[in-house]
Amino acid sequence: MTGIARMTSSSTDSRSVDEYGEAMISVKNLVKEFSQRQGGKFRAVDEVSFQAYRGEIVCLLGVNGAGKTTTMRLLSTVFKPSGGSAEICGYDIHREAQKVRENLGFLSGDTGLYNRLRAREFIRYFGRLYGTEDAVITRRIREMADLLDMHEFLDRKIEFLSSGMKQKVSIARSIIHDPPVMIFDEPTSGLDILTSRNIVAFIRDCKKRGKCVLFSTHIMREAERLADRIVLIHKGKVLADDTLENLRLNTGQTDLDDIFVYFVNRFTDDMEVTADEF
Amino acid sequence: MSFKKALTVYRKELLELFRDRRTLFTTIILPLILYPLIFVGYSALMTRQTGVLEQKGAIIAVVDSADDASSRIIVSHLDKIDHFKPPEIKDQIQQQYDDKFIDGIVTIRDTTLTSGINGYQISVQFDRATDKGRMIIDKLRRAFASAEKEVLSGMLQERGVSDKLLDAMIVKEIDTSTRQKKMGMVLGMILPYLMIVLLVTSAAVVAADLVAGEKERKTLETLLVSAVARNEIVLGKYLTIITFAFLNVVINLFSLFFSMKYMLSMSGIQTEGVKIPLEGFGILLLAMIPLATLFAAILLSISTFSRHMKEARSYEQPLLMVTIMLAMISFFPAIEMNKLLALVPVINISLLFKAVMINEYQLSHLLLTIGSTVVYDILAIWMTIRLFNSEGVLFRVDDDTSIKNIRKEKRSLFNPFYGLVYFTLSLLVWFYLGMLLQSGKDKLEGLVQSQLLLILLPVLLIIRILKLKANEVLRFKLPKANQLLLLPFIAIPAMLIVAYLMQSINMVFPISQKYIESMQALMNISANPWILLLTLALLPGICEEVLFRGWLMRFYESSGKVIAVVCTALFFAVFHLDPVRLLPTFLLGLLLGYLTIRSGSIISSMISHTINNGFAVLVASFEGAWIIRSLFGASGQIHHWMMPPVVLIFIIALLMFHKATANKELKCVE
Repeated sequence: MTGIARMTSSSTDSRSVDEYGEAMISVKNLVKEFSQRQGGKFRAVDEVSFQAYRGEIVCLLGVNGAGKTTTMRLLSTVFKPSGGSAEICGYDIHREAQKVRENLGFLSGDTGLYNRLRAREFIRYFGRLYGTEDAVITRRIREMADLLDMHEFLDRKIEFLSSGMKQKVSIARSIIHDPPVMIFDEPTSGLDILTSRNIVAFIRDCKKRGKCVLFSTHIMREAERLADRIVLIHKGKVLADDTLENLRLNTGQTDLDDIFVYFVNRFTDDMEVTADEF
Repeated sequence: MSFKKALTVYRKELLELFRDRRTLFTTIILPLILYPLIFVGYSALMTRQTGVLEQKGAIIAVVDSADDASSRIIVSHLDKIDHFKPPEIKDQIQQQYDDKFIDGIVTIRDTTLTSGINGYQISVQFDRATDKGRMIIDKLRRAFASAEKEVLSGMLQERGVSDKLLDAMIVKEIDTSTRQKKMGMVLGMILPYLMIVLLVTSAAVVAADLVAGEKERKTLETLLVSAVARNEIVLGKYLTIITFAFLNVVINLFSLFFSMKYMLSMSGIQTEGVKIPLEGFGILLLAMIPLATLFAAILLSISTFSRHMKEARSYEQPLLMVTIMLAMISFFPAIEMNKLLALVPVINISLLFKAVMINEYQLSHLLLTIGSTVVYDILAIWMTIRLFNSEGVLFRVDDDTSIKNIRKEKRSLFNPFYGLVYFTLSLLVWFYLGMLLQSGKDKLEGLVQSQLLLILLPVLLIIRILKLKANEVLRFKLPKANQLLLLPFIAIPAMLIVAYLMQSINMVFPISQKYIESMQALMNISANPWILLLTLALLPGICEEVLFRGWLMRFYESSGKVIAVVCTALFFAVFHLDPVRLLPTFLLGLLLGYLTIRSGSIISSMISHTINNGFAVLVASFEGAWIIRSLFGASGQIHHWMMPPVVLIFIIALLMFHKATANKELKCVE
């Protein structure tokens, strides 16, 4: 492991962000507009700003269509921003896209795999795309197979793997280049309980290893269980950015569902949003 | 760009492809079994079946109503034909033939010919639509030929003339072609077609999988977030398609080569001097490389554009069909390679193959073919990389194009798919109903009717039904005065350029006499040039512009202005239903589309269209006038020297127009 492994704190206490040192993800007034067929523009991400630090798990929480995926696609350089800026490990997502991708591990719940490749080939392929040396790839595959208990199916074709096994292969793929920053886009969507647990355990492990983790979800429980800090996002705008405890203190609500509704209602007074919708 | 990463992508794609049993089967196993099966099996079966047919024989009734010495000679020759039998029952011959008990009837009558000589009239009833019928007539013809000679020599001897006279004319055919060349000619027809079709179809299968397939399987985003640049991905995938398509062609040729060799040696045909032109194969494979790369790039951009494999396959279909049709040019007689055709993709390779196979190709054609294909190739790759960098394309989503939604949101009608549907329908209507309307006596009246009823009316009706604002949708408003003034300086040179282009094309594909006659018929109906101008220039200028630049263009605007102009120009060209005029009409369509988009007014393109058509009418009407004679040479051809100044005027006028409409453009963006 690299030097990042210095941080081994696993507590979810509410330390001030300064204790984490430099920001690994730094988003400033990020804007993404899509032109619509009917003419005009649609702002999917509207002046979004937040930061995430080493050894910290930050959750982007919002309903479907809130702009979570677009934000993550901007950070992972798949989309180009229409305005504002963002840095990953100090690299600008627009000007230094290649460097950004090298320092980033990306995993989403509905990621597909190349079915005709064997698990080992699949992981090695991405290792090579990240420019990792073959010897290092081999070593890391062995380490990850120990960690995720993958030895048994490492040389099987992916099409014959169970969904849980596939998820492990995806996880291994996302950290083959040992990135300091991990981004998870709805990592548990479409997964069964057992497979979701793998992911949750993995996210905690990333934090343990001192990585900076940003994950998005629309499931309140997941955010409650995992996040050090929650960034509430709605209609492309950030409504709140704080630890769960501070959010509880500020709103006077205990349940995250209620906290969420509180902020959304404040944002759109005329709209009645009930917690049942989530 | 790191070539190493592109290679990593390439190696992985190949590995995946070769792990796919279906692809493996169709590209490698199938050709290896198919050709031996086709060649060896088919030829064996063919010989056998022909034998069977001959053995079966036929029942032929011979009715000799002349019944003299000569007619008996004819009958004796017919009797000598192997496996022909007379019917068992001798009467009611016709009835037996109708009931198919008899396969043929030969009737011999004596008759006095117009020259006064007594001769014989022989009639044969047979059914050419059956294999047996064709076999019967072949054998009978041979029997008649030998009988004729014997009868004639008898007649000559009767008149005391030596029958040696019959041999007075000796025809000796001296064929200077080698067996090698004959073989080359046959191969030159089939091989280019076969190779191009194989190349394109196998490339299409792979290409659809490579990007659209990744989108479908949700692996593309993973690839995009990894530390590989987009052009590295494109390069890796592009090399995969080329390799695979090429491998397919090589395996097919290999299998074809050995099957043919085996067939030649088995068939017992003298194979001395017959050699399969192996070095020709080599040159062809070399010339295939640019074509393979071109198709790889085009197919890759289709795959990139598509959301899933099914969509990619359906977008590939038209390309494949056009390619197959173009590749068929090697079957046409009398089309030979020249410098102009060397610039047309697919056709150039097809004709080059043909020339290479009979070893009569020019190096300049080879170089032009490869050179032009490389240029198209670079354009196509550039386009693919551009598409691959476009978020809108990579993450394209479905539009709600249901009829229900159109009622709600009228703008959603204008999407590319409905545009294509509308165009296809109007093409069908134009082709069938238009033909019906114009088949009447008064061609001019039919033309007027079809322009008004088939082109203009439907558009206006739909606009009315949907309660759209016609002026706004069709951009029916006057352009600014300075733009109007520039139009003649654009339209007239454009017309001359198009005419000059047409003239060059006509040298390659001469216009058929029938076409010229029908055009002349149209012009002669009414001697009054004013009526002609009205019906052949102004009317199409208005109606066709409403359809193409006014209506259809709206369907493609959401995809970008360039695409809108190119698509409508393509429709415009296809609509004229003349493959030879495809290119000139396409170019004209591009200009008209540009004028409309740029000026925001359909009037500009209507005026230009009318000028273009009107000029042609004037030229035809006043063929003898001095101005026409000075523009065109004595041969009726545009002088070559006129082109540089014409092109210059055109470019200057177009630049001025572009500048004059610059403000307009800015307003649109705002």
